[in-house]
Amino acid sequence: MSVLLDVKNLKVDLPTENGMLHAVRGIDFQVRRGEMLCLVGESGCGKSMTSLALMGLLPRKAQCSADHILFDGVDLHGMREKQLMQLRGKRMAMIFQEPMTSLNPSYTLGNQLCEAMLQQPGVSRAEARERALYLLHRTGIGNAEDRLRQYPHQLSGGLRQRVMIAMSLMCHPDLIIADEPTTALDVTIQAQILRMIRELQQEFGTAVIFITHDLGVVSRIADRVAVMYAGQVVETTDVAQLFAQPRHPYTQGLLNCIPVRGKTLPGSHLQAIPGVVPSLVGQVSGCAFRNRCAKADSGCERDPQMVQQGSATAAHEARCLKLDAATDAVDAMEVAA
Amino acid sequence: MSNSHQEPVPLDDIALELCALTKVYPLKRGLFQPPGRLKAVNDVSLRLYRGETLGLVGESGCGKSTLAKMLLGLLPPTSGNVLINGQEVDPTERKAHARHIQPIFQDPYSSLNPRKTVAEIVGLPLKLHGVGNAAQRSRQVKDILDLVGMPERTHAQYPNQLSGGQRQRVAIARALILRPDILICDEPTSALDVSVQAQILNLLLDLKAEFGLTYLFISHDLGVVEHLVDRVAVMNQGSIVELQSRAQIFSEPQHPYTRMLLASALTPDPGRGIPALAAA
Repeated sequence: MSVLLDVKNLKVDLPTENGMLHAVRGIDFQVRRGEMLCLVGESGCGKSMTSLALMGLLPRKAQCSADHILFDGVDLHGMREKQLMQLRGKRMAMIFQEPMTSLNPSYTLGNQLCEAMLQQPGVSRAEARERALYLLHRTGIGNAEDRLRQYPHQLSGGLRQRVMIAMSLMCHPDLIIADEPTTALDVTIQAQILRMIRELQQEFGTAVIFITHDLGVVSRIADRVAVMYAGQVVETTDVAQLFAQPRHPYTQGLLNCIPVRGKTLPGSHLQAIPGVVPSLVGQVSGCAFRNRCAKADSGCERDPQMVQQGSATAAHEARCLKLDAATDAVDAMEVAA
Repeated sequence: MSNSHQEPVPLDDIALELCALTKVYPLKRGLFQPPGRLKAVNDVSLRLYRGETLGLVGESGCGKSTLAKMLLGLLPPTSGNVLINGQEVDPTERKAHARHIQPIFQDPYSSLNPRKTVAEIVGLPLKLHGVGNAAQRSRQVKDILDLVGMPERTHAQYPNQLSGGQRQRVAIARALILRPDILICDEPTSALDVSVQAQILNLLLDLKAEFGLTYLFISHDLGVVEHLVDRVAVMNQGSIVELQSRAQIFSEPQHPYTRMLLASALTPDPGRGIPALAAA
């Protein structure tokens, strides 16, 4: 599969009262055509800032730099707003977290669905309407004809998120960025919507960057996963590999601390990760996870680099200076088990 | 490891009993139309045995939080009553109520007063109930904050200086300082990050073993529920549709709604894919 999006050394800094907040600290990742890449991390790890930077939607005072952000061969970094407008909606689309606030309350759904498509030259109203009806139908919304005339407040949260998804698909985009699209929804609705996103993504061959904090969701929906911590990508690999053999101590900690049916004994102590996420205000150096890591020593004050393992087709990268020790520990655990 | 799940819970000692609890909200319709009725909680009867953890699961809008508010005496029920330790509580006696039953709310960002220090927040219940003198109170506050793992330097800080996990620890300390019998935990970890959630769950397990607490644990996260609780009540549209032991509900769910909830829980299990559910 060819590479659709290639991000190199992306940095986002936000000025705050207490100094510069380094929200994203030099991340690299690639999205191939038609694949589902999950960006997973805790709140404040920079995953939403990354998505906003890709779409050119950062707050005005934010400072963004990158070696390049190549989208289908074109560098998005430093592109003018007008050129970006040509791409957004048409070739890249976004699904936001809050379906309650991301639709405009004063326009009908039909208006909002067709808006981006009508911007393109040579698209008639009837064509846009046809496409909107088709996508509403595909996203599982009944009586689509009536829905086009309705306003967002007449819909439930799950329906609104379906409309958002239909809207993102209107212009056959190559890439969709979905920022926690199901976090605000109930579990049964979440399962339905995730399944629909996955099916439509595979059918239309759309690449999706799926941002979430829920490892359960990641395990079910992703092709590849990038784990983020404190503004950096700390581990990238395909989904089966990540859950079978996590290499970074943070990923291992995350996987160990969620209770799993059949594996964790009910009522037993969970293996919590001690401490809290470090502050990213001011100068940050060395491994950001070292204050919570059992394997850390004085050597971890150096900045860790991404270390690659595995073949070129199934690469497994992790940003840790203690990787050998970490893999040994995993092996030892497997032997013990 | 706590032994709470190994010891059988004595079934004759009832800490909290709900008898046919119902809450109806009037719905305004038109000017000349009679008001509609929304049954938020419909004829719910439940028993919490001393020392057990009862899980209450259901989706948003099913009445979980309304039920919790009625148990805490924050909302008068339309009909039915709440018995604490076998006695009915006078709704005007809020303080007596609060001695026995305390809440931990979902959002630690809005449930702590931003203008008070941690020590003031935790000490307020003691002050309101006139327990001891100032010196005794401050010692109790210090003890309980140590117990929930808040280092001494944080005691004089304000909530906005704390992380989400620390705030939830403060909320737990405040709930425990009057030594209640029953804690109502309303989604206590859903606003927290995964890596912090485990710390708080461990703390809840430890405290239960230490004080012999009874928990009503409200959550939509079935993984967490399975880890913590002895019995599970499944709520849908204001009614309890199923009430079973943990082992039974997770292995042999009876009610179709329970089955659907269990099927839609996404455990970290790559390769399983996303379950197909009948469209709602």
